Amino acid sequence: MSLPFALFIVIPVVLVLLLILALRPPKRRSMSTSEVFEALTEERHYARLPQILQSLREEDTEFLRVGGHRDLFDRLRAERKSIALRYLNYLEEEFQLLLEASRILATIAPEAIPMDEFERFKLNVRFAFCCRYLRWRLRLGLQPWNVFGTISDMAGDLTLGLEAATTRLGERASMASEFPLFLENRRRDLD
Amino acid sequence: MVDPIILQDFAWTLTTLLKLLLLFYLLRRRLYRSHPAFLIYLLATIVQSVVMTAAYRHWGFQSMQSWNIYWGGQGVVVCTRWLAIVEIARKLLTNYPGIWRLANRLLFAVGICALTYSVLSSAHKWQFAVVYVDRGVELSIAAFLVSLFLIARYYRVPVAGLERYLAIGFSLYSCFWVINASLVDRWGAASLEGLRNFLEILTFLASLLLWIGAVRKHAVARAVTVPAPVSPETYAKLSLEVNARLHLLNERLVHLLRTKDSRS
Repeated sequence: MSLPFALFIVIPVVLVLLLILALRPPKRRSMSTSEVFEALTEERHYARLPQILQSLREEDTEFLRVGGHRDLFDRLRAERKSIALRYLNYLEEEFQLLLEASRILATIAPEAIPMDEFERFKLNVRFAFCCRYLRWRLRLGLQPWNVFGTISDMAGDLTLGLEAATTRLGERASMASEFPLFLENRRRDLD
Repeated sequence: MVDPIILQDFAWTLTTLLKLLLLFYLLRRRLYRSHPAFLIYLLATIVQSVVMTAAYRHWGFQSMQSWNIYWGGQGVVVCTRWLAIVEIARKLLTNYPGIWRLANRLLFAVGICALTYSVLSSAHKWQFAVVYVDRGVELSIAAFLVSLFLIARYYRVPVAGLERYLAIGFSLYSCFWVINASLVDRWGAASLEGLRNFLEILTFLASLLLWIGAVRKHAVARAVTVPAPVSPETYAKLSLEVNARLHLLNERLVHLLRTKDSRS
């Protein structure tokens, strides 16, 4: 079987599968403009990130293992695993919220900037892949706890950066008087 | 057992009748106003059926004249199909000028890539160039429509029932057309020509039934409120901010992964 022939069979089949995928109803409910920007201006989870990360440091539990409290050590590890997973969920939620905001932005923009849109698409794919990969590693117990401990070292700068960006975005969003009007129009269209 | 030729004739007659039924519904529901390109496409397929019936009767199924008339007509039909598809895309995205400007470039690029690939991969059998170009056009139509649906989904653009079913019909027909044409190309026209024609008619029949159902159920859409656009400056600023934050979140995740990998 030649490659071009195989591709001429495979490509249409892939297209049909993609069509089925594209026609499925979205898992997430479409958010309205005001819902998105309201959520963006709310207090973010990563404001408490340093504390969460501190609780994940291995030194915090190591003394239990050394002291022979294996059960307690295991329980704490399990709890911390669930904290790490929850943290990932928060990150993902935050990411999806931003994407939703960017989509709404693109729908009301007179001309979307292709590079920005493409950049977002790339980031989306990369984030989705990394997030899934990390989650599965955590679930399979492959995550060494000391790794999360070291994150707290980098958390400071990053958190500040994110907070600053959120604030700026929130301010700009609240200043954009066009959004509430669009919200009503869009909701009517979708209902 | 039913003779394949009789079966094929029956399917052909049935598709012609269904085309006329679809035309009737389109006219009755006055959809020629909102979907003129689709109406022209339908008329082109009806005229093609009539002309081909006359040509086969006059010159026979295997004659060169019939072959030339078929492919000449096919060229016209494919052009009108492209117009109908562009009409669907425009109707879907016209209320979203930002996305439409972005999407039309992307969609045409996808279409041209598919067509180019299809023609270039035809192993230089130039005597069958018209067949390969036709296959390429069908592949580009399918790629165009599937990309359109993916873009609509990505940006949460609502897809009205009629446009949805028209597009599904077109894309499924094009996909199966490419598969049929490739099978014939691989195993020879002589052995599979009858089967290919039958499968092609069958696929078109399915698309016709889908379209008739959609046109019959079509209710006059409420006037869509055109969203108030933001200024380009606001979009540019917010877009940059959003991207910056997405970057930061991504970096955070990648940092987690890298740190972990280096230690495990």
